[in-house]
Amino acid sequence: MTVRRTLLAAAFAASLAAPAFAEPELGQPAPPFTAKDDNGKTVSLSQFAGKTVVLEWTNSGCPYVGKHYNSGTMQALQKKERANGVVWLTVSSSAPDMQGYFTPKAARAWAAKEHWAGSDILLDGAGKIGREYGAKNTPHMFVIDKAGKIAYMGGIDDQPYEDPDSLKGAKPYVAMALADLKAGRPVATPVSRPYGCSVKYNSAE
Amino acid sequence: MVRYLAGLAFALLMALPAVAQVPGAARHVQAELVADRTAIAPGETIHVALRQRIEPHWHTYWRNSGDSGEATRLKWDLPAGWQAGDFTWPAPKKLPVGPLMNYGYEGEVLLPMAMTAPASAKAGDKVALKAKASFLVCADICVPEEDELAIILPVGSGPSPADPKWGPAIAKVLAEAPKPGLLTAVFQPKSASAVALAITGAPLKGADVAGAYFFPFDATVIDHAKPQTIDRGPEGLTLTLPPGYAFQGGKSPAAMAGVLEAGGKAYEIAAAPGAAPAGAGGLGPPVEHVAAGGDRLGLAVAAGFAFLGGLILNLMPCVFPILAMKAASLAGHGGGDSAAEARAQGLAFGLGAVATFLGLAGLLIGLKAAGAAVGWGFQLQSPPVVAVLCLLMLAVALDMSGVFEVGASLQGAGSGLAAHGGKLGAFFTGLLAVVVAAPCTAPFMGSAIGWALTQSAVAALVVFLALGIGFAAPFVLVAFAPGLLARLPRPGAWMDIFRKALAFPMYGAAAWLAWVFAQQADAEGLAKLFAAAILVALGGWLLGLRQRRATRTGAFATVAEIVVFMLVVVSVTSIAWPQDKAAAAEVAAETYSPERLAALRAEGRPVFVNYTAAWCVSCQVNDKVAISTGAVRDAFARHKVAYLKADWTKRDGAIAAELAHYGRAGVPLYLVYGRNGGEGVILPSILTPDIVVKAVEAADKS
Repeated sequence: MTVRRTLLAAAFAASLAAPAFAEPELGQPAPPFTAKDDNGKTVSLSQFAGKTVVLEWTNSGCPYVGKHYNSGTMQALQKKERANGVVWLTVSSSAPDMQGYFTPKAARAWAAKEHWAGSDILLDGAGKIGREYGAKNTPHMFVIDKAGKIAYMGGIDDQPYEDPDSLKGAKPYVAMALADLKAGRPVATPVSRPYGCSVKYNSAE
Repeated sequence: MVRYLAGLAFALLMALPAVAQVPGAARHVQAELVADRTAIAPGETIHVALRQRIEPHWHTYWRNSGDSGEATRLKWDLPAGWQAGDFTWPAPKKLPVGPLMNYGYEGEVLLPMAMTAPASAKAGDKVALKAKASFLVCADICVPEEDELAIILPVGSGPSPADPKWGPAIAKVLAEAPKPGLLTAVFQPKSASAVALAITGAPLKGADVAGAYFFPFDATVIDHAKPQTIDRGPEGLTLTLPPGYAFQGGKSPAAMAGVLEAGGKAYEIAAAPGAAPAGAGGLGPPVEHVAAGGDRLGLAVAAGFAFLGGLILNLMPCVFPILAMKAASLAGHGGGDSAAEARAQGLAFGLGAVATFLGLAGLLIGLKAAGAAVGWGFQLQSPPVVAVLCLLMLAVALDMSGVFEVGASLQGAGSGLAAHGGKLGAFFTGLLAVVVAAPCTAPFMGSAIGWALTQSAVAALVVFLALGIGFAAPFVLVAFAPGLLARLPRPGAWMDIFRKALAFPMYGAAAWLAWVFAQQADAEGLAKLFAAAILVALGGWLLGLRQRRATRTGAFATVAEIVVFMLVVVSVTSIAWPQDKAAAAEVAAETYSPERLAALRAEGRPVFVNYTAAWCVSCQVNDKVAISTGAVRDAFARHKVAYLKADWTKRDGAIAAELAHYGRAGVPLYLVYGRNGGEGVILPSILTPDIVVKAVEAADKS
């Protein structure tokens, strides 16, 4: 009994001590954040007020990220949406020593190699933004509308497979959500299952 | 050297005909296709399985991979007319990764599926069934792997024989795989952060549901990484689940299907939206096995306690008279040549006791396997058994009073008490002693037996064996130690008086069993028991009469004995099963029910629950010396304690389940629930008024 009590108390204490893994809510204001980018510049969500913002979680070593970059579909979407005035933030929440951890230099090298076409790469090695948004996978996608509210969250499409063949005929949820927002329509599919590798958070936390 | 051996192995592999792909060195999963039959007949359906051998610390995924990852897939490339079914997925493991949760497999796993040959398949052909398997295999990083696999099956003409290796292995996976249709489930969103999933059905009744977990088929219905909380009910359980994406924006999915793992078994469930039925909750979370009776109690410790418990049983009022007489009779064998006879009798007694304990254990294990809610002392829940035991006690008492002599007629008159029974008699003395000892659940035995009954059959038998050895030890020791034997007083005239004096505890035991019987039966049943008791006494007297007068009245006495014996049998069998009768009303005690307990706890009152039974000696003693005292009554009044009595005199599944949740297989169990909720506190099995008062004071504060 005593042992059990102690264990329960310890578990409770541990649950309080662990950083909260937040659950962002659809239609609610997007959690604010500030981070350094790959050039050492400080970037805050608030500076993009009035603009549509895309958050893309990435991990350079993840085969699911590879599916979308090797085929060029991710870069094509980035290019197209930036031309529409969308801010595209690529976030790396891999912890130091974990797969896909970005030092500023590594992030720049990856961007050059992949012909990455987003607005900025945010270095979140501490996993702070990732946990704030409950980012589970790479790629896990969020779209924030011009009012600063979460308009879409989930997978980049409806094909949760690593196989590049699955790109053919996939429903591109993120592109569809951005098209809906541009046209002033309600987003038809505002939530989907995110898929991919797990975000490589520092597991000690 | 290693390199050389590896090279050799590689060369050997290359030399073999390539049936399936030889896995590359850098692979994390080694895959192959195996079949449960050695051949397949035209039109026949067999099972083929994808066998994965996964590198240590790596895993592949279940049909719902959880927060990340991807389910294993197999794409067949079959000859025309051949058909393959979907995977049968074994229940997955929870694989937490940082703040995320995945569902998958580690080590070796078989994913079976049906394979049907077309009726047009030609017997004698060999068919290559080819498939491409895709795995995502992950440790802290993930690697996609692919394998081109093939299995070559001969087409037979008749039903095909089972494959000696894969036949049983695949059958086991199929047998253990979660099955639909056994449980009923409904779900209902409760708040933004809680969905109630209520699951009911016969397999969950009385099951130990500690650690129960719901694995959804659809990755969007729950938040996999968040804890699921369990509320037990008499008919099942309710899981409070963290809602997933499908519940975002006030929406709700049309169904929640998946696998429930509970009590070591997995069930497939399909929940429709709806309110939870009564009985799906209300009993609070399951207890994760308390220290005294839980898994932490190792086999050695349990066996040790069982041995001690067995020793203590020797002192119980219903056992001691029998053993004392037996030991005294052994003293007659103290000298020289009859020492061997004493040892033989000691061994026979030990054998009888141990065999009876093992027999009871086997019966208990069998009944439990058959799903009966039983525990130690279960046999006393059956009124006919209580009646027979009562008459048996009476017969033993009459024997001790000298009304008649058991065994004397077999051994030849005049050999006296020392020859009383011989080796066979000793064996049956051992058996009898165990049977009458069962109700005297010593405190040590409670947790050992409770533990044993939650373990494997082998562990349970070990515990019962230790109990039997402990029980038999003092007697066997006396029989084997001539020194001890010599210290026992020599048989003589005093023994006759001693024996007649010891008859009275036996009469007491008979009276006590009659009282137990009265709790279970009605007045008419009790009258029949008394009639049977008088007939037993009459039969005993007639037997004694014949033993004393040798054969002179033989014919008459034999007929009379047979008539009396038959009357006893008739009256015992006519003792009707009892109707439900309200438990004897104790002052201020309410009858326990899980619902009543939940209601009282909801009112914020401290609750004292007394799990008891009329046939439980320690329960009655505790009742008299601790609970039914002025101090406790005042304390109950002062702290507004609700007093619930859970009477296990008769079989009751809900109470047995409750006992099991606290790691007990029998009564007594005393629980005190605090005013502000939380776990029930278990009080010791031997109570004093002080223990109860202090527990109640604490409960009022917590």
